[in-house]
Amino acid sequence: MLSRVSSASNLGLETIPVEVEVNLAERGLPAFEIVGLPSKAVDESKERVKTAIVNSGIEFPTRRITVNLAPADVPKEGSFYDLPIAVGILSLTRQCRLPKSSLFFGELSLEGTVRHTKGALLLALCAKERGIKNIFVPEPSANEAAIIEGVNVYPVESLNQLLAYLSGEIELLPAEYREANQAQAPVEAEFDIAEILGQEQAKRAMEISAGGGHNLFMIGSPGAGKTMLARALPGILPLLAERESLEVTKVYSASGRIPPQGSMIKIRPFRAPHHTISPVGLIGGGTNPQPGEVSLAHRGVLFLDEFNEFPRSVLEALRQPMEDGHLTISRSRKRASFPSRFMLIASANPCPCGYLYHPGKPCLCSQREIEKYRKRVSGPILDRIDLHVEVPVVDVKEFSHEQEVKKSAELSSQIRMRVVKAREMQRERFIKEGIHTNAEMKNKQIKKYCSLSKEVRQVLLQAMRTFKLSARSYFKMIKVTRTIADLEGSQGITVAHMAEALQYRPKTQNEG
Amino acid sequence: MIVEIDSPEYPELLKKIEHPPQRLYYKGSWDNAIFEKCLAVVGSRKMSNYGKQITNKLVSEIAQAGITIVSGFMYGVDATAHKAALEAGGKTIAVMPCGIEMIHPERQENLYKEILENKGLIISELEGAHPPALWTYPRRNRIMAGLSIATLVIEAGLKSGSLITAALARKYKRRLFAVPGPLTSSLSQGTLELIKEGADVVISAQDVLQCYGLKAPEELSGAAASSSAPFSILSKLEQNILEKLRQEPLEIDALSRMAKVSASEMGTTLSLMELKGLLTKEEGRYYVK
Repeated sequence: MLSRVSSASNLGLETIPVEVEVNLAERGLPAFEIVGLPSKAVDESKERVKTAIVNSGIEFPTRRITVNLAPADVPKEGSFYDLPIAVGILSLTRQCRLPKSSLFFGELSLEGTVRHTKGALLLALCAKERGIKNIFVPEPSANEAAIIEGVNVYPVESLNQLLAYLSGEIELLPAEYREANQAQAPVEAEFDIAEILGQEQAKRAMEISAGGGHNLFMIGSPGAGKTMLARALPGILPLLAERESLEVTKVYSASGRIPPQGSMIKIRPFRAPHHTISPVGLIGGGTNPQPGEVSLAHRGVLFLDEFNEFPRSVLEALRQPMEDGHLTISRSRKRASFPSRFMLIASANPCPCGYLYHPGKPCLCSQREIEKYRKRVSGPILDRIDLHVEVPVVDVKEFSHEQEVKKSAELSSQIRMRVVKAREMQRERFIKEGIHTNAEMKNKQIKKYCSLSKEVRQVLLQAMRTFKLSARSYFKMIKVTRTIADLEGSQGITVAHMAEALQYRPKTQNEG
Repeated sequence: MIVEIDSPEYPELLKKIEHPPQRLYYKGSWDNAIFEKCLAVVGSRKMSNYGKQITNKLVSEIAQAGITIVSGFMYGVDATAHKAALEAGGKTIAVMPCGIEMIHPERQENLYKEILENKGLIISELEGAHPPALWTYPRRNRIMAGLSIATLVIEAGLKSGSLITAALARKYKRRLFAVPGPLTSSLSQGTLELIKEGADVVISAQDVLQCYGLKAPEELSGAAASSSAPFSILSKLEQNILEKLRQEPLEIDALSRMAKVSASEMGTTLSLMELKGLLTKEEGRYYVK
């Protein structure tokens, strides 16, 4: 006796259909075998399926059971074959008919209920692409799968419930997508940028960075407020647009980071890995390729505190994803592509002890140590950062009249309004270019969209000479100027815009 | 090339110290005129911005008056002094803590070349590519002090090499000048101590030049007047900024708070002022040029 149940296998962000063939042999000793390159998690499925069936009050067949996962030469990962295998067995013993054009997907618990399983969104996408009408997913994951329209998502609570439906005893309605409420927006509430005292220029740099998706490098002594500034950034970023949101949700679904009943991710991700992170942790990898921090920060912020403390190999690995906006992880058996279009916010101390330029504390580092420390970040990485800003230590005494300062400081929501408008201008500008922000412009696009008047060009050329800027900086300055103009809602670029952009030029590393 | 102690070329002043070097190795064109009026300029490797400003100002005026600037080729005050002398078109001698074939610190290769290209001298009592060591520095210092009629200490912490040079200068009965600095700065403790012990206080280049019977170049004393000339065409904000910065160097955040304008507007103004050559920015603070 043979039954066939359709399921799928996730590989990075791609999903391929997998057929689960279950055979109950007429002869032979009772046994339970899974073939088709199962991983450990798939192989252990045997115990979960057996126990779940028995605990659901159904007799488990004492026959020789063979399960084949086809195509048999693709390695299978994950725990979600539990449901298709159980359904295959039960369809044989209970003689219920399986619905046509359906995928089954989900992990079983020992008591016979179905658990939240990662990758439901990807399964729904796969079903839609291949014209499959119905998918049966765990109830907690149903909302995530229901994001995709045009596929009937059946929420499965337990084996018994599913069996009852399959044998026509009860009705089961497809899940309808529900937008999660605002409680899922914790980043916004962390704190308001207005709570940070002083740091007027650094805040402005944040605004420009958010306005054009520019990478930002902050240098300042410990306690100057670099981390606080970075953490306030999500509050001034616009929400994800529809298409961006789907891209981000896919990555999070693939790595199992969507909570039960979770919905589309609307808030830009903010990732802040510690500097002890491994290259694989940052970039992604593993025999079964998983997205790294750069992909989890897709369309959001990757904040690398103590930038110079990251191992060089880790920092150098950032170059390609920063440049291309996506990356491919290749392993001997599998390869997977993940998007990685993020804003890099890096922060560093000016020297190893941190107190160089500090008004109150002496720096204990020698010139050599300082040079060595700064050289840890390579030129090519710094070249990919558009904005450079110094974050001085704030003298709290200066702000004893705190109330007054707070009143005058702009709120995150006020800044965000300008950012949203600027991004809107950029969306219209680049509608045919396939990019979203000014930071993504290539030189050709810079020439096309950032025409400089004679006066502005002269200021820039003069600055190139005075500040000894590199040719690459020339283009970076124009990109930043474009964003400053956008923040003001101005189509043209003026001398004032250019002059402000020059504030954020890269600082010469070794003068003297 | 080598000059032996009994050679007529050997600098007279250096012969007068205890244990003068038996021979001097040198690079560049040896001309006895260069040794006639020497001033040793020494100071901390970790120079503050103030130190940098003062070194540039004093040395360029002194070198323009025809004094040879002798220093130790270390980074910080030494390198700044050599550079300022060369920029002012003056003469300079670098006394190396290592053999003359070695460039130490390595990254100052450009300065090394510039000194040689501009009729300066690189000298040392050590042979070939002898590496620098702890003991070579004080011995190098005695040559610096020995060559010079006077020694000028720009910035020095307590227990610094510059104080050794100062002590040697005193021992050889040469004039000793020290630049006063803020009491709060660790880099001023050494110089302030020297002043307390009787070193001459330097307020302007004239204080040093007097000792050589010279006067500060004319056009420089007129500089103050000329810098205030374009003042009239500056905007009110720009004038306001200059006024504030004359009192003390400030960060952009402090400036924008004082002037009550946004960081954006202040940034624009400061960039343009920098391009006009009115200000410089160092280590996050703005200075009047």
